[in-house]
Amino acid sequence: MLLMSILVITPVLALEIVTHPQVIDNNLTKSQLRRIYTMRQLNWSDNSAITVFVLPSQHALHQRFAKERLQIFPYQLNRIWHKLTYSGLGVAPTTVQSEEELIQAVIKTPGAIGYIDTPNLQKLMAKENDDKVTLAQVVSQENTVMDSKEKDLGKGVVNVVKIKD
Amino acid sequence: MLSKLKTNAAVEVLSKVNNLFPSTNLTVNIKVMALVAMGLTSNLVYAKETPSNASSQNFQLHGFLSQGLIDVDGSDFVNDDGELSTELTEIGLNASYKINNRFRLAGQVVYLDGGNRYAQGARVDYALLDWSAYSDDNWQANIYLGRFKNNHWLYSSSRDIPFARPSIILPQSVYFDGFRDIAVGSDGIASKISYSSDEYGDFDWQISYGTSPISDEQTKNILGDYAQGTAKQDYDSQTSLYWRPALSSWRFGMSLLEAGFTYNQSAQDFFYDADFVFQFYTLNALYEGELWEFSGEVYQQRFIVDGFYFPGFNLDNVGQGFYLQSRYKLTDKMTLLARYEDFYLDKDDKDGKALEESSGGQIPYYFGFHKDITLGLNYDITSNFSARIEYHWVKGAGRLTPVVAPNPQINNSEDWQMWAIQLMYWF
Repeated sequence: MLLMSILVITPVLALEIVTHPQVIDNNLTKSQLRRIYTMRQLNWSDNSAITVFVLPSQHALHQRFAKERLQIFPYQLNRIWHKLTYSGLGVAPTTVQSEEELIQAVIKTPGAIGYIDTPNLQKLMAKENDDKVTLAQVVSQENTVMDSKEKDLGKGVVNVVKIKD
Repeated sequence: MLSKLKTNAAVEVLSKVNNLFPSTNLTVNIKVMALVAMGLTSNLVYAKETPSNASSQNFQLHGFLSQGLIDVDGSDFVNDDGELSTELTEIGLNASYKINNRFRLAGQVVYLDGGNRYAQGARVDYALLDWSAYSDDNWQANIYLGRFKNNHWLYSSSRDIPFARPSIILPQSVYFDGFRDIAVGSDGIASKISYSSDEYGDFDWQISYGTSPISDEQTKNILGDYAQGTAKQDYDSQTSLYWRPALSSWRFGMSLLEAGFTYNQSAQDFFYDADFVFQFYTLNALYEGELWEFSGEVYQQRFIVDGFYFPGFNLDNVGQGFYLQSRYKLTDKMTLLARYEDFYLDKDDKDGKALEESSGGQIPYYFGFHKDITLGLNYDITSNFSARIEYHWVKGAGRLTPVVAPNPQINNSEDWQMWAIQLMYWF
C-alpha cells in the first residue's frame, strides 16, 4: 500500500536539476548543489563560471526545490542572495518568471544550472522528438546506454544532473 | 525596449504630476514618482526580458523603491513638529559588471529622506572593484577595493535595504541612523574569506580598513548646530567572523571595530580641537526555523574623548546593550515581529542620574539610555513587493540627534512612541 502510494506520488512531485549541455559535471553531491545555490561555489570542475537561474521566491516549484533539494527555506535563500546583490559582495542567481523562461535560459547560457518539473521536462523532450529538430541529450547515469545512443542523435538541449547524497 | 517604455511612462506620469502640482518641490516629486514607479513596475514584473546568453549575465541591474509614512510622538527622531511625515523614502539602484572570472565592478546609489534621522539626498553606498583572488569547491577569497559596505554586524549590510532588513526602524543602539553614513561603509580595502564544508559548516571571515567622509550636515547631526569646525574620520578598522555549523538552523557571529576621529575647531567656535576614539564589540546569534526565527546581538562600546569641550577634557565611557528579536511566519506571506532592545551609554550610570548631575541639570537623566519595544507585521504581496507596519514604544533619548549637544526642549519626555508603514518594491 505504502509502496504503491510512493510509486504514484513520486513522479508528480519529482523535479530535475538541469544544466547547459556543455557543462561537464553530470553528477553533483547534495552539498555541492547547496553550495552552488548559496553562491559558495562559483565554478564548474573545469573552472568555467556557473550561472544560476531560479524562479521567483513565491513560485511553488522554487519552494519545493529549496526545501526538498537544498533543505534550505526559501526565505533563507532570499536573505543570502539579497545580501550579495545589495551590498556589492557578489552576484546572486538570475530570477526568471516562468518555467518556460527558465529552461530557455539554461539552454542558451553556457555554464547555466536550473531546475524543472519532471513532467515539463518530459514534455520538452517529447516536443523535441516530435519536431525532429534536435533531440534532448539526456545524460542519465542510471542508463548509460541511453547516453551514447542519444549522442548520435544530435546536439543536446539540456543535461539532467544526477544528485547524490 | 521594455525598460525604455517604463522610463517613458514614468517621465510622462511625472510631467503630469508636475502639471497638477506646479508648485511642488523636488522632494514631493521624488516621493510621487517612487509610488507611481512602484505601481508601474510591480505590474511589469512579468514582462521583464529574458536573459539569453552569457554576455547579458555579466551585467546586472537591481534596485528598490520604497515609500512610507511615519508618525513620532514625543521626540525629534524624524521631525521637530511631531506631525505625521512622509519622510520615509528609500530608493536605490545598483549595477554589477563582471569583467572576467577574477574581476568585477559593482556600485550602488541610494536616495534617502528620513527627516532628522540622516541627511536627505543621494549618496554612493558602494563603488568597488571585487577581485576573486582564490576560489575552489570549499574556499573563496575576495579582495574589495574602493567604497565597500560594512558587512560586519548582523544587519549592517541590509540596514538600508528596506525589504531585506527585519523592520522599518532597526535597533538604534546598534544601527543608529545618526551614524548611518559613517557606519554603512568605508573607502579603503576589505577582504572576505569563506570556507564551506559538510564537516565544519560555513565560515565567513572579513577584515576591512578605510575611512568615511563626514559631511557638514553629518557633523551637525552628531555634534549639534554650535559645532562650526570640521570633523573627519582618520581610520575605521573592523573584523568579523560568522559560523553556521553544518546543516544547522543556527548561525553565530562576532565583530570588532575601532575608529578614530579628529575635530578641528574653526576661528570662531564654541568647541575646541579634539580626538575621538570609538570601539565597538558585538556577539550575535541567529536561528532560522521554518516558522520561528530568533536573533539577537549583545554589544559593548567604548568612547574616548580628548578635548572638544575644553582643551585637556577627558572622557572614557563604556556603554552596553542588547536586543532580542523574534519573527513568526503566520502564513506564507505574513510575518509577525517582536523585539526588545535595551541600551545605556555608560555602564556605570545606567539610570542617567550622573549624566544629569554632571551637566548641571542641562541634560535630563533619560538621555543616558534607550529602550525600545517593537511589534510589527510584514506582508509579502508578491515575490518583489511587500508592505510593512510597526509600532515602537521607546523609553529614553539616548539615541536621538544631535548626540553631543542634545535637545531637551523638544525631547522633553522619557517615553515616546512611533508607528510607521512602508511599501517596498525591488527588482
